[in-house]
Amino acid sequence: MTSIERGRRSGVSPEDPLVKGLARAWGLQRPWAQLIFKLGTGTTAVLSALVVVLICVFLTVFAWPAIRFNGWNILTGTIWNIGNQYGSGSITHNGYSAEPGAQFGGLVFIFGTLATATVAMIAAVPLAFLVSVALVYRVPARIRPLANALVELMAGVPSVVYGLWGMVVLVPWIGTKLAPAATAHLGFLPIFHGDAGSGNGLLAASTIIALMVIPIMVATIRDVINAQATSVYEASMALGSTSWQAVTRAVLPSVRNGMIAAIMVAFGRALGETMAVLMVCGAAINTYPQNIFQSVNTLAAVIVSQLESALTDSSGMAQRSLAELAVVLFAITVVLNMLARGILRGADRSQEAQ
Amino acid sequence: MRKSLITAVAMGLVLATASTAFAATRMLETGSTLLYPLVNLWVATYQKEHRNVQITTQGTGSGTGISEAIAGVAQIGASDAYMSNGQMKQHRMLNIPLAISAQQINYNIPGLNNVHLNLSGPVLAGIYSGRITYWNDNAIKALNRAYASRLPHKVIIPIHRSDGSGDTFIFSQYLSFSTPSWKNGPAYGTTISWPTVQTAVGANGNPGMLQTCKATPYSIAYIGVSFLNETNKAGLGYARLKNRAGRFVLPTTQTVNAAAATLVSRTPRDERISLVFAPGANSYPIINYEYAIVNPKQANPATAKELREFLNWAIDGNGGQKPYYLDQVHFRPLPASIVKLSRSQIASIS
Repeated sequence: MTSIERGRRSGVSPEDPLVKGLARAWGLQRPWAQLIFKLGTGTTAVLSALVVVLICVFLTVFAWPAIRFNGWNILTGTIWNIGNQYGSGSITHNGYSAEPGAQFGGLVFIFGTLATATVAMIAAVPLAFLVSVALVYRVPARIRPLANALVELMAGVPSVVYGLWGMVVLVPWIGTKLAPAATAHLGFLPIFHGDAGSGNGLLAASTIIALMVIPIMVATIRDVINAQATSVYEASMALGSTSWQAVTRAVLPSVRNGMIAAIMVAFGRALGETMAVLMVCGAAINTYPQNIFQSVNTLAAVIVSQLESALTDSSGMAQRSLAELAVVLFAITVVLNMLARGILRGADRSQEAQ
Repeated sequence: MRKSLITAVAMGLVLATASTAFAATRMLETGSTLLYPLVNLWVATYQKEHRNVQITTQGTGSGTGISEAIAGVAQIGASDAYMSNGQMKQHRMLNIPLAISAQQINYNIPGLNNVHLNLSGPVLAGIYSGRITYWNDNAIKALNRAYASRLPHKVIIPIHRSDGSGDTFIFSQYLSFSTPSWKNGPAYGTTISWPTVQTAVGANGNPGMLQTCKATPYSIAYIGVSFLNETNKAGLGYARLKNRAGRFVLPTTQTVNAAAATLVSRTPRDERISLVFAPGANSYPIINYEYAIVNPKQANPATAKELREFLNWAIDGNGGQKPYYLDQVHFRPLPASIVKLSRSQIASIS
């Protein structure tokens, strides 16, 4: 039985007497009400899709001069330079000009976006799964509502609060304690090799992102476990497995689809998180981190931090190149979303085959 | 009940008409976060004496200030940097100096924060481009014979602004004017393409620079002088900088005034000039005019009149230039000849 079938079984049918009663009470069975309802839902459905398309079209149109000017350099170049605003002359490429010395390479930011999100997910996924398991099976029923509320509260904390905490507590701790110790004693590992830096960087940004996405994942995974795996866990325990075996061998496989969905939502959030990341990432420019402690920069963070000076670019190419970075971020999110859908569909099919 | 409601509505209507009858002229000032505290002090006093104008202030950044002044959203765009020739060609705006500011080079070297190290443009350029990586580098030792043995063998962490900033503008001008390789490389601007330095950190705004420098031992940062109280409270050291004459000077009233004095005579009629790396034995090398970016053609004569009046008050010795305002943010007043130039620019607002 797939999750969808299970949903259909427990779902509400239009023949349900309760639904029929409600519809009658609201006058929804009258033809004009039906029409208004159809039109209303239809319009909003189309509108919500249209908004996404329009944003994409607007961004692409606005970024078009930059797309022509930069060519593939936006994806492959590592140097970001809005050009000498106070110099003389200008440079022209494919019919579009920018200030002298300008080049807009976005690879550093694309790398930083994927790296911070990936490291964050590596830490957050197992934690979120374990927290969900604990909330469902381990936390005593008496304090469960409180524990759930606390986790949900984590999701409600504004991201800039995480950023501020990261800036005044986490970053100094990494910079003065963790990074010097790790580079000194574990320097033989590539991720700890090299200069310790200041604490602002990949690890700080990923930690903050992980803290922000864990509650999002926990909310989904916990509900999936509650809905699908309570009996599986009990059955597994009844067959004599340890609770670790029950969780890893029985619960985990049965909530796999829910996990993947939760991971994708969280990954999308991780890619786009802006302010908190900007506050702790070290805003690297023209450089990649040599280890996990050094400065990085993400697409979202660089758009915010460079916008101010891009406004003073008289050629306008800096603003348009930032818009092109937004298009790239948009494209990354769409591609990952499609990948996730593909995985889910594949998983559904393989389950059906069993 | 109903009667009192009607009375309330009627009174509201009367009040609304009354306030339109004595309509206040509304003006928006937006831009530089360095100027923001000063403008706030000004506006608070000014509005007490001029009840007919209502000035709103915002600290949004110099780039936003310039672009909103061009767009006509703001009447005053505050900027730490004058507009470039390219921008002026597209939009002829007035660049009116309001005060003189300076910048200090701060560092956080445990044990040495109570002394003023000597630093020069080429050494700073070396640090920010990754050629000088340790505090006990020979180039730094050579400038600081007295502390040579106390300079630690620690990696320098150079902090720069990640947002567009007038502070980046004047700091990179100091490096450009003193170091040919910097001039031909990153050059200067409100944001520049920083050379690759593995330990470099970008920080957001002057508060971010201060926080990062405070929290990071062996770091170095450039911070606007209006944060002098905060950097001193944080226990950071600040450097004596090498000026064009080859002498090392601290940012004081005398050295900032000396630098301004050598350049005011060269200030052109449109007042767009860099005051960085001024000649003179006693000149502090990183100072600048803080600008009001104003469209000479305002939406209506009433706004133009109030704008002229406010700007004239702001640059007046008995108005906005009083030590009461400027001392709070460590700015210096404009010299008399600059006030004269500014007045003639202000007079052209219509």
